[in-house]
Amino acid sequence: MFEYFGYIALGVLGTVGVTFGALAIGTVVGMPLAWLRRSRHAIVRMPAVAVIEVLRGVPNLVWLFLVFFGLPQIGIRLDPWSSAILTLGVASAAHIAEIYRGGLAGLSRGQWEASDALGLSRMDRRRLIVLPQMQRVIVPTMATYAIGLLKDSALASTIGVVELTFRGGVVTQRTGDGLTTFLVVGVVYLLLSLPLALAARRVDSRMRAKFSVG
Amino acid sequence: MSQVSEGLLEGARHAPVSLRTTDVTMRFGETYAVRDVSLEVAAGEVVSIIGPSGAGKSTFLRCINQLEVPTSGTVQVGDKSVVFGAGPRRDREIADLRRNVGMVFQSFNLFPHLTVLRNIALPQERVLGRTRKDAEARAMALLNRVGLAEKAESYPGKCSGGQQQRVAIARALALDPAVMLFDEPTSALDPEVGAEVLAVMKELAHEGMTMLVVTHEMAFAHDVSDRVVVMVDGSIVEEGDPKTVMESPTHPRTQQFLAAVLGR
Repeated sequence: MFEYFGYIALGVLGTVGVTFGALAIGTVVGMPLAWLRRSRHAIVRMPAVAVIEVLRGVPNLVWLFLVFFGLPQIGIRLDPWSSAILTLGVASAAHIAEIYRGGLAGLSRGQWEASDALGLSRMDRRRLIVLPQMQRVIVPTMATYAIGLLKDSALASTIGVVELTFRGGVVTQRTGDGLTTFLVVGVVYLLLSLPLALAARRVDSRMRAKFSVG
Repeated sequence: MSQVSEGLLEGARHAPVSLRTTDVTMRFGETYAVRDVSLEVAAGEVVSIIGPSGAGKSTFLRCINQLEVPTSGTVQVGDKSVVFGAGPRRDREIADLRRNVGMVFQSFNLFPHLTVLRNIALPQERVLGRTRKDAEARAMALLNRVGLAEKAESYPGKCSGGQQQRVAIARALALDPAVMLFDEPTSALDPEVGAEVLAVMKELAHEGMTMLVVTHEMAFAHDVSDRVVVMVDGSIVEEGDPKTVMESPTHPRTQQFLAAVLGR
């Protein structure tokens, strides 16, 4: 059994790759989505609402199967890695857009008004005043989401992405010892998510000590 | 207040100018928040706007620098004017207008993620293109004058309300405005803390800043302003020198309002 530990541990690369790949797409794509979602104009806002709700309302596993097994039928063929990162990334964008929106809602209107009254441009207002404060507000929620995504990355094993869970399956088939194997796999997930949670708490309390928003 | 000894306007790029509004109106359907308000504040003059809650005082003030968009009317600062309700809004004109008008809010609205020093320096760097060194030097000079030099590196959350409001005044003054608007600057403060803020405003008035102040501080309106304007239901009902308006008002709504606030 021990000889397989190294093989399982290597799966960390796959898990971390899928998680951070998807997170990267989500944090970037979530931004414009959040902004459209906040638009005063229904014609801009409604499509954003629709996209967000549809993405969030269908299980990630179903999206994954749609992309990996469904898209080839219309001529779009993606390898398992791309399918997993892209699907989880776009689905994350919807969740993260809502996190951003919650963060923005936490800022007082006075922050926008003061920026305007001082004559800051829209770009400066966004970049120097709104975003830094929003970042502060969303740290805990984003960390929770990232940990959820780390665990969701196990879904990628179902379409053949060789990450932690997939490797666990391989080892179980070879050794017949599913108990030990998946206990090890579980512990590895824990070792990945705990530092994330601790780091988020550290960042959060350090920023809280400096300033509070709202 | 003795800490405010040197000039608040020392180092400013230009002198205060006049402010004039003509028939400024803000309407929602059939309801008027502000109706045909024409007001002139001469360069260096201090005018207080008083009146009952919901009279449109703050809304009118916010129309001047475009935090609210008036339905119609004209706002003129110095020799630059912006006409509302005729054609699309021109961002250039509005930016120009805001550059010359400083505003102080009831809720301070400091940026909580920036230190006191950066709150005052950052807008100078971005709006006026000053170097960080120049901007921070100016910020320190102003902090000295409002008696808060030792708070430069603190975050606003670590300052009292009165301190935050004095920082907010310094932040606005750092941009060398030609006119200052004050929207109930002491309403969120305890009276004794409000006094620190009023002292700075008084100093600013003595130095010749053009000031338009929406206030519930009857003593400030009476003692410091050159003129008092009474607004009721979105319109100006009475104006004149503070003694006349506040001691022997002629309009019944003014009499009613003063009786309520002064308890006589």
